Amino acid sequence: MAMDPSEVEFLAEKEHVNIIPNFSQDTIFLISGDIGPFSAGLPVSVPLWLAVNLKQRQKCRVVPPDWMNLEVLQEKKQAEMDSRFFTEMPSPFYIEITQLLLQCATDDIPRADEIRTLIKDIWDLRIAKLRSSIDVFIKSEESHAKLNFLTLMEINTVREFLTKGLNHMHQLRSNLTGSGATQSSQFL
Amino acid sequence: MAAHLDELRTVNNYFDLDDILASQEKIPCVFNIAVEGLGYLDQSTNDPNISVGTKLELPFWLAKYLNRDARGIVAVETPKNYREGYRQILAADPSVVDLHRLGPHFYLFGGKLAILNLPDNQDVLNTLLQTFQGRFRRIMDGAQNALHSDLTSQTDMLDESELNLFAAGQRGLVGFQQWESRESEKLSTSTMVVNQRKRKWVSSNGDAGD
Amino acid sequence: MGEELNVSDILQGGNGVNEEDDDDDDEEAMTAPEVLQKLEEAWMNEKFSPELLPVKSNLVECMLAQINAMETNIENAKKADLRISIHRMEIDRIRFVVSSYLRHRLAKIEKFTSHVLQEEEKRRDTDAPLLSDAELEFAKGYEANLKSHLASTALRHMPTNAATFNDKEMAVLPDLNSYVFLRVNETTENVLVEEATVDVGEEIMDFEKGDQHIMMYKPISSLVESGAVSLI
Repeated sequence: MAMDPSEVEFLAEKEHVNIIPNFSQDTIFLISGDIGPFSAGLPVSVPLWLAVNLKQRQKCRVVPPDWMNLEVLQEKKQAEMDSRFFTEMPSPFYIEITQLLLQCATDDIPRADEIRTLIKDIWDLRIAKLRSSIDVFIKSEESHAKLNFLTLMEINTVREFLTKGLNHMHQLRSNLTGSGATQSSQFL
Repeated sequence: MAAHLDELRTVNNYFDLDDILASQEKIPCVFNIAVEGLGYLDQSTNDPNISVGTKLELPFWLAKYLNRDARGIVAVETPKNYREGYRQILAADPSVVDLHRLGPHFYLFGGKLAILNLPDNQDVLNTLLQTFQGRFRRIMDGAQNALHSDLTSQTDMLDESELNLFAAGQRGLVGFQQWESRESEKLSTSTMVVNQRKRKWVSSNGDAGD
Repeated sequence: MGEELNVSDILQGGNGVNEEDDDDDDEEAMTAPEVLQKLEEAWMNEKFSPELLPVKSNLVECMLAQINAMETNIENAKKADLRISIHRMEIDRIRFVVSSYLRHRLAKIEKFTSHVLQEEEKRRDTDAPLLSDAELEFAKGYEANLKSHLASTALRHMPTNAATFNDKEMAVLPDLNSYVFLRVNETTENVLVEEATVDVGEEIMDFEKGDQHIMMYKPISSLVESGAVSLI
């Protein structure tokens, strides 16, 4: 089963970020949980989908998450280069949050362009690592792998490819042991 | 979205087109008994009957059926592309072999041969596994790197299942890139609607001609 | 209007959410956010599992009731109220999850129709039926239509000895050995990750909360149903 990146983004939009509203409003009782109360000028935590919407309607400023600054991300990038394994990202939705906030709230994020570049560097490092691990995994005799700290968007870019590859391998192996005689090895 | 919904893997898929196509691949057969009236299958002779010892290539689905019993109507042999000679070539460097030419359903058909219990059965199946493992990295890299270049150089040596895998790799990458460039935000006319329009245009044209 | 919009009250007012729980034995009423969270998990599990999972009718019905209640409230609110657009957006998001969940289920029902109907037969009277009433009706109708279509387009042109359905040969089954990605919700020890075969012995692992794995679906299918792992 494939998942569209926009659906991964949909899940990321539930993550909370701080905004500074320019309006006041009592608590809003959403089905997914209460938000607010909102007081003009005071930070309040809201889901990303709402932050983006309020920003687009010019009803708030966005407070960038703690990790969305150059020092933190430079360290993160270095750590990712130094490690053979995937390091833990400051948010499991780092790429989606960056993408959404840099699109709608560039003016609220200091040095937005450099941040964009750093996040992309980290992403590229991790995807390259992911591809080498996939190759090792396929060549090994292992039937499972632990993927801690890999984020959903990263998984999603290789999901269909990797599961198809492994399913095909499994089919070829069960041909050998005779256990897969009734299976079609279709690649669907 | 609709395309994604059709990707459930299944077992025993009676209606699978690839499976049907792979079953049509030819197997070298030798007739153990004479068969009256089927001589036309053998184009090298005018004999109306098939005599004992006649060699013919038959589609897998038929060969399997005729070979069912211990001394079946036909004896079967390993198809050329899976014999020792080709197995050695594949073992030497699997990534440079044109699997599309060796059989567009190289793995699927190769796997089906197992049911015939040929003497080199295990060697064939081992070759399939090692060939795939040996070609995997190249398929992955091709799918990831060849976004804007000409794809045929990457894909024309792949068998159908590898092509399918290659396409999946590309979908993952293209999907992400479209998301990243916010292309996926733009609404576009669904291909179904576009096709529908074309069809209407054709049929209304046809009506006008009547 | 603030008062009216407190949906947690509607929920705990007892419209049957607390009976819903087939996952854990927790007898307490779930709040609306918890129901939504469960529904989203069910959506992802359904999306990624190769087989059809038992239907979560209660979660769906509860969320649809929430949406309806919210829409009534919105109609009664002043048009200029900022909250209206926010509630509308949230409703759209939840509707998307519900429809996507149901759509994935329909796709599996269409693909595995006869298999699904056989399984449902066994489970119909348990507390975890595979299908909702509407899905069961759909599946039966779909199967009947498919058979009559195949009969009229192909079978009736066949010689009589070949003009019957071989249900067993034609049945399309989910491939439970498909690979899936999963996240561990509850630490679980001694998970059988690979059954013993001729060449290799069985392989057992401990799953720690928060771990992510890629492996075959079959050995962990019961953990998906119990909620100990989620497919991702």
